[in-house]
Amino acid sequence: MTLLMWLQGMLIQPFVEFGFMRRALVACLALGLSCGPIGTLLVLRRMSLVGDAIAHALLPGAALAFVLFGFSLWAMSIGGFVAAVAVAGLAGLVARLTPQREDASFAAFYLIALAAGVMIISIRGNSVDLMRVLFGTVLAVDDASLLLIAGIASLSLLVLALVYRPLVVECFDPGFLRHLGNAGAWVHALFLMLLVLNLVGGFQALGTLMAVGLMMLPATAARFWAAEVWSLAAVAALFAVLSGWGGLLLSYHANLPSGPSIVLLAGSFYALSLLIGRRDSLLARQLSRRSHRKA
Amino acid sequence: MMQFDSTPRALRRAFLTLLASAGTARWSVAPAAQTPPPVLKVVATFSVLADIAREVGGTAVEVTALVGPNADAHVFEPTPSDVRRVASADVVVTNGLRYEGWIDRLIKASGFRGPVVVASQGVVTRGVSGGADPHAWQSLANGQRYAENIRAVLVAALSARAPARVAEVEARAAAYQQRLAALDRDTRERFAALPAERRRVITAHDAFGYFSDAYGVVFIAPRGWTTGSEPSAKAVAAIVRQARASKASALLVENISDPRLIERIGRESGLKVGGALYSDALSPVGTEADTYVRMFEHNVKTLVDAMSLNVPGASGDAGAVPR
Amino acid sequence: MNGIDVPALPNSTQLPVVAPPAIAVEDLTVSYRHHPAVHHVSCRFEPGSLTAVIGPNGAGKSSLLDALTGRVQPSTGCVRTGGLPRNRLAYMPQQSGIDRTFPLGVLDVVMLGAWPRIGWFTGATTAQRAQALLALASVGLAGFEQRLISELSVGQFQRVLFARVLMQDAPVILLDEPFNAIDTRTTADLMRLVQHWHDEGRTVIAVLHDLAQVREHFPLTLLLARECVAHGPTEEVLVPRHLMRAQQMAEQWDENADWCAAPVLVSRAPS
Repeated sequence: MTLLMWLQGMLIQPFVEFGFMRRALVACLALGLSCGPIGTLLVLRRMSLVGDAIAHALLPGAALAFVLFGFSLWAMSIGGFVAAVAVAGLAGLVARLTPQREDASFAAFYLIALAAGVMIISIRGNSVDLMRVLFGTVLAVDDASLLLIAGIASLSLLVLALVYRPLVVECFDPGFLRHLGNAGAWVHALFLMLLVLNLVGGFQALGTLMAVGLMMLPATAARFWAAEVWSLAAVAALFAVLSGWGGLLLSYHANLPSGPSIVLLAGSFYALSLLIGRRDSLLARQLSRRSHRKA
Repeated sequence: MMQFDSTPRALRRAFLTLLASAGTARWSVAPAAQTPPPVLKVVATFSVLADIAREVGGTAVEVTALVGPNADAHVFEPTPSDVRRVASADVVVTNGLRYEGWIDRLIKASGFRGPVVVASQGVVTRGVSGGADPHAWQSLANGQRYAENIRAVLVAALSARAPARVAEVEARAAAYQQRLAALDRDTRERFAALPAERRRVITAHDAFGYFSDAYGVVFIAPRGWTTGSEPSAKAVAAIVRQARASKASALLVENISDPRLIERIGRESGLKVGGALYSDALSPVGTEADTYVRMFEHNVKTLVDAMSLNVPGASGDAGAVPR
Repeated sequence: MNGIDVPALPNSTQLPVVAPPAIAVEDLTVSYRHHPAVHHVSCRFEPGSLTAVIGPNGAGKSSLLDALTGRVQPSTGCVRTGGLPRNRLAYMPQQSGIDRTFPLGVLDVVMLGAWPRIGWFTGATTAQRAQALLALASVGLAGFEQRLISELSVGQFQRVLFARVLMQDAPVILLDEPFNAIDTRTTADLMRLVQHWHDEGRTVIAVLHDLAQVREHFPLTLLLARECVAHGPTEEVLVPRHLMRAQQMAEQWDENADWCAAPVLVSRAPS
């Protein structure tokens, strides 16, 4: 068997043979493309831990929907989404209207939401793990989830392209934007909405670990390769897509669980970037110390 | 005081009570007469046992289950109110065979000193890796054993407190045994009527060992798969290949596991995705599997339907999981 | 680093500068947590004036600028900008409010000045790009357009902010401590830029600390110590009498001061 055939067998064949592999790949692709820029912006705004917070913020909405409508996937997903939007929105509002920082207000509101959710579930007395319904796994992506996540990704990319400039300025010099009008607040709200949408969609299709992992790890790794916002986002998206593809193959060939494989691969990209990335990595710093230009 | 779970059941119980009274030559004044209050408080570990206890004990008992319908006894975590319930119980019914890992601690914590029924006592067990398979109730013959064990303890407890009610319980137990026996015969006939090669299904949870032995159905379990862990792509691919090659009739979903993955495999392998099988818990009151007998009937019907239909390929709308 | 060649400085839009309106401050009070930073100040900035705002620390100078731009709502009084829309006031903040580690290029920051003309969605035209490059050259940063702002020194970044103001081409320019922490050579260069703006007829108001600089370059001065101590020609304002009074007033920060007898009204600053 020639090398080419072997490569094809290893890297392409699993996707040809199995529909679930194809779907998983497309889901990773969609999520990676939209989470690249969003994750980058989160890192730049020092909101890196927000993803996990939002995963917990879903709970009261899902719990309430469960109480009202029973075990309906649709009701619980929408309930969870509404709760997450409320938490994100309130946190953003508080950060804007008071001197409190966004990471602190986020922490406050997500904890309140989480406790409320646990309370609702306990009062109802059912120990069924609600969240298992809300969080999917990458290998079980069905048509509905795939459409949802692809739709969200397309929407996100479109919206981000449109509001890219005000979003960036809002991070960099919020006073400037405020001075020109109140658009900054709307842009920020829009960003939070996109964030929650991507996360909730990601949770539903792929589970928390993967959604947050693919959002944050590539973005943190990109920092060691690119300098400007748009190139950071592009590198992050690339890392996310590669992690998805490679992780699925790892899971397939080495019989490892899929979600952790993908995220750990993204993590190893991060470690590699940290060590030998082009910009400001440990290696780059060592090298730059050795030689310098004349001016 | 009667338990008003749902009107049809209440009516049925009223009717049975009347029959029982007639059997002992005591006539109630009128159908609308007051039914005698329950004597024993029975706490069962999970819904199947609770239902059997209710059927056997009738109005003489007030039964609650610690792990209710659609809940998973494997991940149950007792709350303070559960401890209180056990403490104030007269009889505790457990499955045994190490099904409820938490029950011993719970009984100890509550200080309960009364009789504990091990419903599976006397059952011929089948072995699985790590000990005996605890899901003995999946065979109706064992179900009869369960009912008998429960009857014995209930009667013993009643004899001490309200000997007048013993006859009623004995009669109910006898009727129930007949019912289970008839269902058992019926089930065997139905499966025997199907050709052997159709009696193969794939389902994720390996709780139907006793069922398989009793009625000749082959349950193909995906290897190395439990409800808790996340599968690898290799495992899923293997199952799809296995499903394609196994010539199983259908893919069936269980009520306590993630059905989405099962659906995906069904679509991929072209197997019919059948309805839910109930194994570890009954469904909520008023739904299709809210008693032990109905659960059994539902499982049998689902299996027979899945096996009989000769629809290759499309999984159809049967993929919806009844919730 | 090139010096600034004033005669070569362009008028960035190649059009005559729109004559700025007078800016009237009427009975303005800006307070935080019940303590006034600006206390019942009334003054008037004539069109085309070049005014320095000075005062001790905590005198409310930045708060005054914030009220002029509309960033804070006054507790009493208002600011009248004679119909000028807010985005025609160019405001250069102190650097501390800006995230300098953000991965943006120098040219991008300068182009922000043209925001009202570019808007959210459209790209910048080549002409606007050329203007931005010219603005960079005007502040002595020719060749810096591809650098990241995180790579610049404080003085270089201050020049970038000046270039942004250049791009904004606004009739009224507010500068908050523009020469903080930068060297004399840079200061001198940038001062020439400010002078150029004054020559073009724009109204310039700058918060400053260096009295020598004020005496040398600024014809008008507003001496602020929460209240207006003196406002007028620089040589009349910067006399020891006024300066000492300003110092005394600023030291009167009192946690338990009586509530102000003047009527408390909340009014918006009309445009």
